[in-house]
Amino acid sequence: MKYHVPQALVAGHEQTGGGLFFLVLHAPEIAQAAVPGQFLHIRCGKGDDPLLRRPISICRVDKGKGNVMLWYQVVGKGTSLMSQVRQGDCLDIVGPLGRGFEPVAAGKTVFLVGGGVGSAPLVFLGNELAPEKEVVALFGGASEGMLLHPCLTRLENCEYATDDGSFGYSGTVIGLLEEQMKSKTPDMIYACGPQGMLREVVRIAEEKSIPLQVSLEARMACGVGACLGCSFLRSKKSGGGWARVCQDGPVFWDWEVAWDDGEQQ
Amino acid sequence: MTANNSEMVPLLGVEIAGIRMKNPVMTASGTFGFGEAYTDFFELSELGAVVIKGVTPEPRKGNPPPRLAETSAGMLNSIGLENPGVEKVLEEYLPSLEQAGTPVIVNIAGSTVEDYCLVAERLSASEVVKGLEVNISCPNVKAGGIAFGSKPEMAAQVIRAVKKHTSLPLIAKLSPNVTDITEMALAVEEAGASAVSLINTLLGMAIDVRTRKPKLKNVMGGLSGPAVRPVAVRMVWQVSQVLKVPVIGMGGIATAEDALEFILAGATAVAVGTGQFVNPRCCPEIIAGIKAYCEENEVSAVAELVGAAWKEEARG
Repeated sequence: MKYHVPQALVAGHEQTGGGLFFLVLHAPEIAQAAVPGQFLHIRCGKGDDPLLRRPISICRVDKGKGNVMLWYQVVGKGTSLMSQVRQGDCLDIVGPLGRGFEPVAAGKTVFLVGGGVGSAPLVFLGNELAPEKEVVALFGGASEGMLLHPCLTRLENCEYATDDGSFGYSGTVIGLLEEQMKSKTPDMIYACGPQGMLREVVRIAEEKSIPLQVSLEARMACGVGACLGCSFLRSKKSGGGWARVCQDGPVFWDWEVAWDDGEQQ
Repeated sequence: MTANNSEMVPLLGVEIAGIRMKNPVMTASGTFGFGEAYTDFFELSELGAVVIKGVTPEPRKGNPPPRLAETSAGMLNSIGLENPGVEKVLEEYLPSLEQAGTPVIVNIAGSTVEDYCLVAERLSASEVVKGLEVNISCPNVKAGGIAFGSKPEMAAQVIRAVKKHTSLPLIAKLSPNVTDITEMALAVEEAGASAVSLINTLLGMAIDVRTRKPKLKNVMGGLSGPAVRPVAVRMVWQVSQVLKVPVIGMGGIATAEDALEFILAGATAVAVGTGQFVNPRCCPEIIAGIKAYCEENEVSAVAELVGAAWKEEARG
């Protein structure tokens, strides 16, 4: 029995900005077992509507306290219900699920590139890598209210970009990445965010031949590889065919993904 | 309740198409992978039987994403029978099910009658397989599937042909997307099916009002989940009263109460599908709940409950 389906106690829940919430769950087994990039499958309500669980990436863990932390955005019925849970309530969670980020032994400098709520799994990764690597976190959002504050990321070296220029670099996180790369070339990039942003990171990493891993997002039903609902196309280079975001990922090497829709098998 | 009740152990075992099951709870094809997906949550040996995903002669890549859309108390899928093909299933997946400790039933599909026959013949060579569920009802593939499941004579033709290629018991999985489900059921029984599975998904669709496009890339898909349960219960009720062979009931089962509803409507066994996505421990919980219901209601064997609702009604 690898996975647990516990009723996790909500140890804390706060709104960090417009539609964004930071949730602390007490789930000691999951806090121990989880690796960066993995997600929890959460039942947001009690009844049949919404029916399916919502996959949410783990943002941080506190193994000592047995806590798992999530930073998520309200996008629909499920996450909206979830945003209403209060400290002391219980949430039905399954996890940790999925294949996480692969740590890379070679090199010293690692860039984390996060767009919006996509920064969440990178925060976990950054905290794990920080003792041994030079971790530079580059997180972007529409405005200051859409960013995760350093007091919650616990990352020392964190640069921000906002589309409206209200905080940090004025522009997209891609602009910030290009800016940073003028003075420093990372040995590895990890990225998570909207598809358009990821494609740009892929382009930059390819140009400079920097290894890149991305965390993908998809609508899921089962979350454990059974329903084949979250499949996406693998690149020809990685053998073609479908991969399941939930179980083969959500983390993939950039070259495993068929970024170009025209690249059908 | 008397003090003796606590000592009575109800018999949960049932028999479908000559396949003995320790309890009436099975998995629904297409929701359980090839038996590997939920082994981290419970032991396969706890199940009455395991039904694995639809298998075709050749590998199928299925439909392009998005393949899922959530709807009120339900979900639409358009997976499109993605599977690695019968040879790979025989080589890679079935051997690991040898130690499952529960009968293994394989769902078979195809575009032509010959496809079904070929898969049936190949799977008959496996010691692991105890029965075949003939999928004449998949709404997500253009050829085959539902085309065979919407006309009684075509459904019967598939069953008759497959029967010539295997000695394994055949379970016909029927589509609810028909005018008269009893007509379909009688046709496959006449053709030699040893049981019927009711129901496959209901054909449906959903549109995103922001993009003004269908939510599924394939436009239409199969609706499952609690939303379809009353339709499924009704069809089990109708079919079980006219058929001699047993009915396996499925459609939105998530709790023991749901499962009992199907059994009382006439299902000899039940299968859990979408419910598992929501609660991965739902099968063992349902089994425990059926046992508890029997104990509380002094039912000595779950088989006594099959069709009890219409038998009760007939008595007035």
